[in-house]
Amino acid sequence: MKRAEVVFTFARYEIKRAIARKKVLALVAFTILLSVLPYYALSQAGTTLIPTDVYPYLWVFAILLVGPLFLNFTAILIAAGSMSEEYEQGTAELLLSKPVRRSDYIAGKFLGGYVLFLFILALTLILSISSAFTFFGFQDDLSLIPGLFIAQAFSSLLFFSLAFMLGELIRRSSLAYIFSSAVFFSSYIISVFLSAIFRATGKVVYRTVQIYLPTSAASSLPIQYALPRLPPIVSTALTFINTSTSRPTISLSIEILLLYTIASVTIAVAYFLHADISRKLS
Amino acid sequence: MEAVTVDSSVVIELKKAVKDYGGNKRIGPANLTIRKGEIVGFLGPNGSGKTTCIRLILGLIRASSGTVKVNGFDPIANHVEALRHVAYSPELPNIQTFLSPRELLNLISHELFFPDNADRKSEIDHVIELVGLHDYANTKVGKLSKGMVQRLSVAQALVGSPETLILDEPMIGLDPAGVVHFRDVFRDFATHGKGTVFMSSHIMSEVESLCTSVAMIHHGRILFQGSVEEVVEKVLDYSLVELETSPLTPQTLQQLKEISGVNQVNMADSGKRDSVAIEITICERDHDIRPEIADIVVKSGAKLYTIKQGENMLEKAYIEALKETNGGKP
Repeated sequence: MKRAEVVFTFARYEIKRAIARKKVLALVAFTILLSVLPYYALSQAGTTLIPTDVYPYLWVFAILLVGPLFLNFTAILIAAGSMSEEYEQGTAELLLSKPVRRSDYIAGKFLGGYVLFLFILALTLILSISSAFTFFGFQDDLSLIPGLFIAQAFSSLLFFSLAFMLGELIRRSSLAYIFSSAVFFSSYIISVFLSAIFRATGKVVYRTVQIYLPTSAASSLPIQYALPRLPPIVSTALTFINTSTSRPTISLSIEILLLYTIASVTIAVAYFLHADISRKLS
Repeated sequence: MEAVTVDSSVVIELKKAVKDYGGNKRIGPANLTIRKGEIVGFLGPNGSGKTTCIRLILGLIRASSGTVKVNGFDPIANHVEALRHVAYSPELPNIQTFLSPRELLNLISHELFFPDNADRKSEIDHVIELVGLHDYANTKVGKLSKGMVQRLSVAQALVGSPETLILDEPMIGLDPAGVVHFRDVFRDFATHGKGTVFMSSHIMSEVESLCTSVAMIHHGRILFQGSVEEVVEKVLDYSLVELETSPLTPQTLQQLKEISGVNQVNMADSGKRDSVAIEITICERDHDIRPEIADIVVKSGAKLYTIKQGENMLEKAYIEALKETNGGKP
């Protein structure tokens, strides 16, 4: 019980730290921009662009279109600095000189950062639904919200964990952001190329490699969850995201997500438990 | 998990502790023993390994070889048990600038799992009052002066009624009133609270006036450890008598030199009108020759303003010790 309290203390501290560093403010601003502006722009483009049958389901577009890029990248922005910024500022030393377990500290930092990410995700959903309702009227199939929230939260765990691990290993926030982003965008670009090569050559190896890239699993689950539960017209409207790359099955997506997440968390924790606590970088 | 130190009075123990940073940078092997109730000054030049030893004790870094025990426990393997009653105030603390002193102390009291809010609040109020931060309790750390941040560094160490305080240059940035106040706080902590204080410092006079014993470190090795008197005796083979008089004649100076045990007599400007400062070096420690000196000066017709045993002997011993280990260079 006491250990859980300590973990929650560090989680609250991590949230407060992110708020103080204006990180949350910037992310909220971007969330508002990306969840409102596209709907407004679509509403101004005229009714011919989107079939009116799709209007009641437009709320889901923000998650399925914005999610793979913005939400996964948000996870990186939150997690990469979680450990590294504390080393850079020398503040980790003070907290870890107390009689607390390192495992409680790292668990609290991870939890706090992830709660922050969930807040951004929830905000994205709420704003998307509100914007879709405001510009396109009544929205349907809102019962999918909890499932979609869980699917996206679980998917983004991959890049959150990866960036968290790189932050701990590199211990310099700017480098951790650069490396994490490089993995993210490289994976995206390579994925598109491999998919194109597979379609052109039919060689399965390209498809297999593409499926196991981190972005494939991280961007698949919400789509795999939502599309079968929505009317076919929504799938048709979203054809371009549905066919650009090959996608693993739901169970394989979950396995790949778990594999990357568990590996990243294990490496981060093992390194943190055994490495020296760095002094402030000058 | 089990404490292995046989002597329960030992709070901190380093045995042949080495920290190898790679390349040529290596600290140790260091041997150090701190017992309950001691106020130990930890002395050494910049880069001698003081902070490394402190970080080893706190379990922030792992010893490459040798052992480190705090309250009988390994501070890495049994961090919580080892540091349960130990608190640390870092040098030039990097405290979270977005927190106020009250918020930081609250965070730390949560870390130490204070049982309830009332206890927590009363402990925090007490510590804030003790270090003189009451007017700044709700000001963000980023807006505090260096001295106030230093006070906060000590305050966060005092939260939770620790039994051992580890202080890295605790007087840095403090105004003279703050230095006097903190000296009293630490002394009170050791005497009334029966606590142990282990403090690194470059201010020798501070260490000499506050500490019951000292440990000197150089190039990562503890040169010696003991009471201030023991260390001074071990390093210096002389003692000093300092006096302030009206200018003395060469005959009087010669008479002073001829006193048994006197090695050297130096006269210098005292900085005051019509007086000089005389420093007499004596090789016989046990023989107090001040009455003889006073007698000669007064009989010569000169005015004797002050006569006392030499001060800052620890500083002299420190510099002498460094010279010995550096082949004559301080």
